Amino acid sequence: MMKTVSTPISRRLVLGAAVTAAGLALSGCGGGSTPAAGGGGNVELNFVYWGDSNRAKMTDAAIKIFEEKNPGITVKSEYQDSGPYADKLATRFAGGNPPDVLNMANRTLLEYAQRGTLADLKSFPEIDLKSIPATIQSRGEVDGKLYGLATGVNLIGMVVNKTITDQAGVTIPDDKTWSWEDYAKFATEITQKTGGKIYGAGYDVATETGPILLARQRGEDFYTKDNKLGVSEETMRDWFQYSVDLRAAGGYPPAGFFEQIGGSPAQSYLAKGTVASQIIPINNYKGYNEAAGGNVVLLRMPGETTEKRRGYSADPSMLWSIAAKSKHPKEAAKLLNFLINDVDGAAETLTQRGVPINPEVTEAIMPKLGEDDTKFVQMVADIQKDDLAPAYVYPKGASVVADTLKQLATEVEFGRITPADAAKTFLEKSNAAINK
Amino acid sequence: MSVLTKQASGAAANLAAPGGKPSRARGKRTNQRSGYLFLLPWFIGMLFTIIPFFASLYLAFTDYNLFTEPNFVGLANFQAMFEDPRLLQSLKVTFIYTFVSVPISLAVALLIALVLNRGLQGLAIYRSVYYLPSLLGGSVAIVMLWRYIFGNDGIVNGFLGLLGIEGPAWVTDPEFALSTLIVLNVWTFGSPMVIFLAGLRQVPAMYYEAASIDGASRWRQFRSITLPLISPIIFFNLIMQLIGSFQTFTQGYVMSGGTGGPADSTLFYNLYLYQKGFTEFEMGYASAMAWLLLMIIAIFTAINFIASKFWVFYDN
Repeated sequence: MMKTVSTPISRRLVLGAAVTAAGLALSGCGGGSTPAAGGGGNVELNFVYWGDSNRAKMTDAAIKIFEEKNPGITVKSEYQDSGPYADKLATRFAGGNPPDVLNMANRTLLEYAQRGTLADLKSFPEIDLKSIPATIQSRGEVDGKLYGLATGVNLIGMVVNKTITDQAGVTIPDDKTWSWEDYAKFATEITQKTGGKIYGAGYDVATETGPILLARQRGEDFYTKDNKLGVSEETMRDWFQYSVDLRAAGGYPPAGFFEQIGGSPAQSYLAKGTVASQIIPINNYKGYNEAAGGNVVLLRMPGETTEKRRGYSADPSMLWSIAAKSKHPKEAAKLLNFLINDVDGAAETLTQRGVPINPEVTEAIMPKLGEDDTKFVQMVADIQKDDLAPAYVYPKGASVVADTLKQLATEVEFGRITPADAAKTFLEKSNAAINK
Repeated sequence: MSVLTKQASGAAANLAAPGGKPSRARGKRTNQRSGYLFLLPWFIGMLFTIIPFFASLYLAFTDYNLFTEPNFVGLANFQAMFEDPRLLQSLKVTFIYTFVSVPISLAVALLIALVLNRGLQGLAIYRSVYYLPSLLGGSVAIVMLWRYIFGNDGIVNGFLGLLGIEGPAWVTDPEFALSTLIVLNVWTFGSPMVIFLAGLRQVPAMYYEAASIDGASRWRQFRSITLPLISPIIFFNLIMQLIGSFQTFTQGYVMSGGTGGPADSTLFYNLYLYQKGFTEFEMGYASAMAWLLLMIIAIFTAINFIASKFWVFYDN
């Protein structure tokens, strides 16, 4: 105990540590890796997409067929969840090391295309466009150049758990003619008849596909032909107000009910049995039906015949693109052509990314589809028989629009802002982002 | 500190001169050289910090969008910040988070350290158990777990339900989401606690012996002996926690799925910076934001250093 005390930490040490800790913040993330080029005469393509392991399994099987059909090309594919995928893609383009063939979201196509980072798909003789409908091609066209091709066609639809409605003794309205009011009445009745244990409606107010459909039904284009915001304040107000009224009536769950932990059908509230209906991208119908007990019916969205015009359009679920800086553009074009036109490849991926955009391919894979996927393809085909309003490429700033909708939907949900104010703010913020 | 350096350089000298007895001057040079050799990994690592550091300084004055060549725009990015309501919101979130969670977590860390310092049996086990959350707190898995614990059907609301209280939607209600993250941060008091514990062990027992002979109460001993003697450690922990919490990212990102929601209530400064850079592709603006954060941290650290003159007591 004779030793004098020396405090282990001096003033200078604290300062040094502080400077280091603060400085590290500025350096951000670490560096990326460079994929090795293929040796010999062999070309290695880098192919990236987002999705889960199930999608990856199907995609890998298709790629194997591509490699067999194209000796000398090997495909190195990578997949991730959509969020991290978008971030990584941006960094790879920024670093001058883009993948050759890639998955592109509707909402970011223009961001990339207008900055010259994507190749014009029409410039490749390898890509056969003769069977691809013009309405599909137009969704990847910017200033006359084709920067993306739909991976498949997809729609949103309403799924209802019939086991619940049967038990509650509620009849499901005819989806060919039902209105938004019918849906509200239907949902409220379910909640009442189940004693509040199950909520009739469980759709997501914060996803833009809902208001996009409603806007089209009202005769407006959510995103216009000249890549602006076309939805009216009134439509947005009604979109918000509808959920507020439905909640007040009891058909829609209380604020804070939806926590969105995970996004797979198995984790959905429909599968848990706490809601009786939900709006989904209908290529997931099979997943929801299996997860929720096998008695789920697929319906069209409400309002299709009761509003001004049809709200549906043939929407790309996502797009395929080729990087302008691809070192192997010819081979990349071959792969992209394979992805949209090859029957054997499509036999492996089926409707995983929506209904194939080449009708011949769709026809060829129909016999291979299960009952649920057949229903999905049938519904897409039926809806496309009707005269549908055109839809356009999403504008620059569409990601900000999506984020803004998410924020405001929450504010409305917790009563922090009125639907009218939310609609006003939505237009202001979205327009600012798009016109920037 | 000085003891440590001497030992280290002694060891370095032994390593550098295995055989023979080098002259004094040469030995010193060898010492220096091996000193630098040991620092080499840090210098190499520093390159990965220094280069982006200056790159971001340059980019802060450009309109860099990740894809096309940056154009010089002067102070435009900094001017735009004044008219950006989300930037103000992100500052508000970060400040609330910092000024609420740092004092609480330091107090909890000190309290636990005091308890553990009383010579408990199995101290090593307790220390590890309390330290564990710090290792995990910033990880994605724990934040996810936190979402479940505070979820509508989670154990927190389950417990409140037993008491007849209907708990709020901790994760999805904008009024409560940030407080859930503050609790998470307080829970990760482990690393300041371990540092406190080390500091407490350095306080010589003779001071306490002398004080108790003079009839000082425990509280008095704590205030007059413990606190002044560990004040440099409190200061160190305060600075580190402050900087760390200004830079919070993972918790907000994972909890809200990258949006900063519900309704921007967990939009941490760094999360917004990330969104600007990688979602909206405004890397120039994001770089300017990084420099603003550096300035904010520098100012707060400077204030602390000035204030420390009045309460931190250096024994040496």
